[in-house]
This record gives sequence, C-alpha cells and structure tokens, in this order.
Amino acid sequence: MTEPVLQTEGLTKYYGSVLAVDHLDLAIPRGCICGFVGRNGAGKTTAIKLMLGLLRPTAGSSRLLGCDSAALTPAIRQRIGYVTEGHRLFRWMSIAELEKFQRSFFAKQWDDKFFADMIEYFDLPKKRKIKHLSNGERAQVSLALALAPNPELLIMDDPTLGLDAAIRRQFLEGMIELIMREGRTVLFSSHILGDVERVSDRIVVIDKGVLRANCSLEEFRKAVKKVILSFADSTPAEVDIDGLLHCRRSEKELELILVSTADDHIAEWADKTGAEKYHIVKMNLEDQFIEFTAPANHKRMFRWEEI
Amino acid sequence: MRFLALLRKELRESLPWLLLAAIVLLAIGGFLLRQAQTYGWYDWSARDFSSSSITRTYGLYYRRSPLQLTGPVLLLTSIGLGLVLGVRHFWIPYFTRTWPFLIHRSVSRSTIFWAKLAAAAIGFTASVGLLWLVLYRYACRPGRFPTPPTLSVFTEGWLFVLLGLVVYLGAALTGLSTARWYTTKVFGLAFAGIVICIVIFQCRLAYAFAAIIIGAVILLSQIIDTFAKREF
Repeated sequence: MTEPVLQTEGLTKYYGSVLAVDHLDLAIPRGCICGFVGRNGAGKTTAIKLMLGLLRPTAGSSRLLGCDSAALTPAIRQRIGYVTEGHRLFRWMSIAELEKFQRSFFAKQWDDKFFADMIEYFDLPKKRKIKHLSNGERAQVSLALALAPNPELLIMDDPTLGLDAAIRRQFLEGMIELIMREGRTVLFSSHILGDVERVSDRIVVIDKGVLRANCSLEEFRKAVKKVILSFADSTPAEVDIDGLLHCRRSEKELELILVSTADDHIAEWADKTGAEKYHIVKMNLEDQFIEFTAPANHKRMFRWEEI
Repeated sequence: MRFLALLRKELRESLPWLLLAAIVLLAIGGFLLRQAQTYGWYDWSARDFSSSSITRTYGLYYRRSPLQLTGPVLLLTSIGLGLVLGVRHFWIPYFTRTWPFLIHRSVSRSTIFWAKLAAAAIGFTASVGLLWLVLYRYACRPGRFPTPPTLSVFTEGWLFVLLGLVVYLGAALTGLSTARWYTTKVFGLAFAGIVICIVIFQCRLAYAFAAIIIGAVILLSQIIDTFAKREF
C-alpha cells in the first residue's frame, strides 16, 4: 500500500485555552479529491495551516508527501499548491507580475500555456492589478497560480467562499482540470456542500476540532439517514436503536438521525416498537451534513421536542 | 532567481516610502543647506569632527558644519524610514493576510527574511544614503562655504543611515512578536531606541559604529529565531 499523501496523527492545536483541533487522525490517499467540511469555527483553516507548517501543533504531528509538516523543505513545498483563504494575494501586483513572481519559484514545472489558457478561460486581463479584481476574479487568479506548476497535492482553504454560482462553477471546472491529471490529490475545505458533492470522491467532516468522518462520499451518503416513524398512540419512551445520532419527537412521531444503521435493522426496530409506519427520508448532502454535525441539544422551532 | 524574485517584490513594495524619504531629505536638507549658504549665520570653525560627539557635530550643542542642521533631518528621516519599512515588511502582511501565501514559497523562511533585509539595506542606501552623498558633495563644492564639511561628517551621517536600519530591525522584531504590547512585544522598538540614544551621545565614531553593530547583531539573532518559529 502506498503512503498517504497527507497524514496526521493526534494533531492538536490550542489557542490559549481554546481547543481548535483535537487529536486529528487523518490519512488522505493519493489521487483523491477530498472535501474537507465543517461548520464555522470547526477548525478547518487551523488544520490546514497545521498541515502546511504555518502553525505549530500543540501535540501530534502531520506529514505531507512523506515530510514532517513542521519542517517542510522548499522542494516539498514546490510540489504542493496552496490556495489561501480569501485568496489573499499582493494587491499592488498585476496578474502578469504575479505570474512572473510565482513562476520564479517553479522554474522547471511551471506551465506557461496552462496559465495563459486558464486566464483566457476566466477572461481576465493580465495587466489588471489584483486590487482592481473582484473576489471571484481573485479566486480565479489564485487557482490558476496554484495549478500552473502542476502540483502533486493541491490544498485549498474555502476557495469558493463568497463567489456567485456562475464563478463557482467556473472555479470548479478549473479544479477538474487538475483532477484530470493522473495521480493528483486535492484537499479543499468548503461550506458549500453542493460543491463538495460535485467534485469530491472523499469527504472529511470536522466538528469542533474533532474528526467526525473520513470516508468516501458514497459511504457517507449511504451512512447518514433520517427516519420518521409514526405511532398510533404515543412514541416509545426509550429509543435504543443502533447508530442513533439524534432523536426528536412530537406527540405521535419520532424523527431519528442514524449513522451506519442497516435498513433491515430499522425495519426490525420499527416493528419491535410498534410503529404504524416508517419511512426513510431522502436527504441531500447538505441536509446530511447539517444533521450529522448538529449539536445533541439542537432544537428546532415550534414542532419538535428533543429527548 | 527565487531570492531575486523576493528581493524585487520587497523593493517594489518599499519604493513609495524610499522615494518619499529621499524627497523629504532632499527638500528639507537642501533648503537648510541653501539657507546656510545664503545667510551664513553659523560658526564654521574647522575642528576634528571624528573625535567629537556626533550630537555636537550636528549642532544640538555646537554648530560647526555646513551640514549641521541637515544631520538631524537625516537622523529623523532614517528613523522614520526604518520604522515605516519595518512596518511595511513585517506588520502589513499580517493585516493583509498575505503571510501564508508568502511563507508557502519554495524557499526557506530565512531566505524570505534575508530578501526583506536586503531590500531594506538597498533601499536605505539608494534613498537616504545617496541623498546624503549628494548633500555632502554639494556642501563640499569649492566656493560654497568658507569651511566645507570634512569626510568624518559624511561618515557620521552614515551612522544615522545605519541607525535607520537598526530601527527597521527593531520594528521587524516588534512586528513579528506575538506577545502583548505591554510585555516583550515592545522589546524590539525599545532596544532600537536605546541604540539610538547610545549612538547620538557617543563621543567616538568607532564606539558609535560598535554600538550599532552590536545592537544590530542582537536584534538580528532575535529576529531570525522569532521568524523561524513564528506562526502565520
């Protein structure tokens, strides 16, 4: 088995007394597109910065392309593309100046044609200064700069944040350019689950600094289920089904969020508790993510009562 | 090539401030020199400047050189430029959040730092250093002043240029420090301030240079260590 492109072991980061990343054990295999998702403040940016050696871990370690993140050599950094959160680039530079600057760090691997093609595809004038570009245009420049050196590993920190749907689509299509290059690995954090669903084949879910899921997107889609059971009289006092994540109840209905519970088992349990009927609600990835990361005491307005 | 790319970037970012410092020094220094030339209301007694206090040379206590009032202007311009460049190179990237992009270059952190320092040194030489040479050459022209400035006055002016670099290092250290202002964060600037005081009240040129070199080495060692460990 080949070594994972990205691996963390017990990676932990405290900011003062605030725990940002909590014993993160993660392994990303080569050649996958991994969506790194979590709510605001979940620790995604901190985790990415720890992986890139921009922050120092309080405990644990991480390795990128076989090299300890705390001591990434220039040669290793050359193989890693990084799109920073908010696409922060040097505002006074023009796109052409930024290209020249970036190219000087990737003398042999820089693909002039690819960069020119991407800039043309995004319809950006090379002479325009970064400070005169919109958020979306800066994101496109950022992506082109990160992809032109043909990196083995591309790490992007919320690259589509604040972009409109059309620009996001263009951005993702640009990303797919890289994906089509054999053996490339992409890790990108995002709030937009639709984007993750569109391009990822793997999903990593982090919540309050804790790794909650690290599996293929397909597995995640299958694993997280919402089941609604209806009862003739009243709902059972105790809910003891395997894989129960959340349970909400109304007078005659139970809404269960289950993880990795087989359909057969759900049917058995419904039968055992005397449910009149039950149905498994089809959820999109966003709903699954929201339910999966919802706090245990999460309440909905008006209708449901937590147990 | 990578170092040069970084150096170009830093120089380009510093350029407006270097030009401003040069213009300030040229305008005020030139004006004062013209005033001295026109009115000649100074005591131009020929003395051995190398053995006297730098402060005396530049007229805080005694007035003995055509460049006497330009000296403090040079000192203040250098200090100001050092402060501004230190802030521009080490504080602003924090606010513009460009540190992660810069740090993730395929160079070591020390290369990034040395490129910044080289840009500051070149910038100081090209703006205030060069202007100081221009002013000195102007004052030395035969017939301009009864007693032209000696070479030691020019050398002492360079002490002030170097003091600007010490302030730059102090500002860099303060900018890189993650401590609170009322604790060790202020160390860099405070230390640079102490070096300035030592130098301007120093009577011997050699001692003044020694104070600058020792101060710069202490600040440099601190910065290199801080920059290598700093989180971005």
